[in-house]
Amino acid sequence: MDLKVEPLKCTGCRICEFACNFHYDGSISPIGSSLMFYREEKKDYYGLMVKREKSLLLGRPEGERTLKPGEQIEGASASSKPILLRVACDRCTEEEEGPLCIRACPYGVLSME
Amino acid sequence: METMNNYTGNILIADLASGACETEELSPELVEKALGGAAINMELYEQYKDKDPLIIGTGFFTATFFPCSCLAVLTGKSPITGKIGHAPLTWQAGVELKLAGFDFVVILGKSDKPVRLWLHDGLSDINDSQDVWGKDVWESVDKIREVYGDDMIQTLVIGKAGENKVPIAQVSENYWGSKDSFGFGAAFGAKNLKAMAMRGLGALEVAEGFFQKCIELKNEILNGAIKGKAGIKDFIAPLGLDAKLKEKLESQTHRLNACYNCPYPCYTFFKYREAPSAMAQTGVADPGCLTAGLAGLAQFHKLGIDAPQAMEKCFKAGLQPAAVAQILAKKGIKDLAAAEAAINELAADSSLKAEAQSPWPIESSLPKEAGIFSSAVPPKPVFAEASAFDNGDAGQVWLKRQAIAYTIGMCPIFSLLAPEVTIDKVVELVQMSAEWDEFSKDTLDNIVNTLIQKSIG
Repeated sequence: MDLKVEPLKCTGCRICEFACNFHYDGSISPIGSSLMFYREEKKDYYGLMVKREKSLLLGRPEGERTLKPGEQIEGASASSKPILLRVACDRCTEEEEGPLCIRACPYGVLSME
Repeated sequence: METMNNYTGNILIADLASGACETEELSPELVEKALGGAAINMELYEQYKDKDPLIIGTGFFTATFFPCSCLAVLTGKSPITGKIGHAPLTWQAGVELKLAGFDFVVILGKSDKPVRLWLHDGLSDINDSQDVWGKDVWESVDKIREVYGDDMIQTLVIGKAGENKVPIAQVSENYWGSKDSFGFGAAFGAKNLKAMAMRGLGALEVAEGFFQKCIELKNEILNGAIKGKAGIKDFIAPLGLDAKLKEKLESQTHRLNACYNCPYPCYTFFKYREAPSAMAQTGVADPGCLTAGLAGLAQFHKLGIDAPQAMEKCFKAGLQPAAVAQILAKKGIKDLAAAEAAINELAADSSLKAEAQSPWPIESSLPKEAGIFSSAVPPKPVFAEASAFDNGDAGQVWLKRQAIAYTIGMCPIFSLLAPEVTIDKVVELVQMSAEWDEFSKDTLDNIVNTLIQKSIG
């Protein structure tokens, strides 16, 4: 089971990033999240990236794409750069009620499959 | 009250005359007295009122899991009315400000040259801003993000209208204008303050159990009055606006956007330089504009002008769209080219006389105290009657709802969409966050009544 993203359901509210960080350290911040929101604001082009153990899930408006290390990321903005330093998604396995990002998202963007 | 969850504990005092920035503690006593947002802004305004202050403050819940806790509030003397106004800053600015390390910013005096305030990592700098002085809002945002090297930086920027101290100049949130109906763009311009730039990568502590309570509230909201609705297009019928506006806006809609942690996406991106359905990145640099400014859209629509494109012209110049449209109506302007020329003239018109007037082409019955809050917010609840929110006269319900939203840091538009955010729930979550058992409905009433009374003077 891995986290799945449906990018066109996303509205860019960013709460998933903060919920993810909260899962790891109990504080509100975007910095320690396995999820990263990116946006090219003037084009209304935005999506989510998820750091996985051995890959990166890129949820772009055009659809999902899984990238392996070394592959070029097309369509992600400059703000997406630091995600490779992030902790990989642990799927919130010890959270009784499921992943916090899924619970926090109001739009059903995220799911496990 | 024992702890300071939800806040960083810092107030920045930025003196533009001397160029000095100092950080003071946000004391628990001040939070106990006024809680946050506009209410603490008023306390700080009074403390510094001899130094021409502008205060930008976050609410008690801003940047937390509380639904739609996106809000910062800009408080100062309105260049339009000469009285106190509180402008709501939505989108991401409040979150970025608090996570940059500052709950409140007090801006004093006037710089002798154009400057901007750059806040990040608990640090503050007053930087030279001659590189963007004279540029429009869009060019300025692009340049500031380029200079500081991060396109997630959130900005509050003025355009030429603000530089020229035109009283209907806005402080713009990034490219997209704002709900500033007080002319604070002119107040920035009078201080030679071109912009604030913020990047928030800090952290906030919250109370144990707060996350779960907020998720439960969010789920209740999603199954409540907003269920099945999305975007400002769905405000049009309940507010009694022209149904043809809805058709027009739907034909140009690209995607809906939400402010930080908001269960209702008001913001709508309109594409008119490429197909609205185009989702992939294309070579079109500026395909359209993003706005939740329904009053402005409705006013331009009344003139027969393509409303989203007219909004873009106002955003670039840094002018309040609805106020511009009302001026264009008096001039008899009915096409986009003439509107653009008139907007450019208005952005240079320092002698313009402006007056506070409702931007909504609908009847409303708000009390006179409503003038301390933004008129860009709908003048009545949208999807439910006022009685679903609170007891009493509809105008007073609106006023109290706004005062609470501006204090706790919830978007004031969202506060009129979701009656599920009851006063009891607000009280419960304040008690939990602040470990403040004595906090009650009466405490909240006293805080917001004091805010209103101090603001009207």
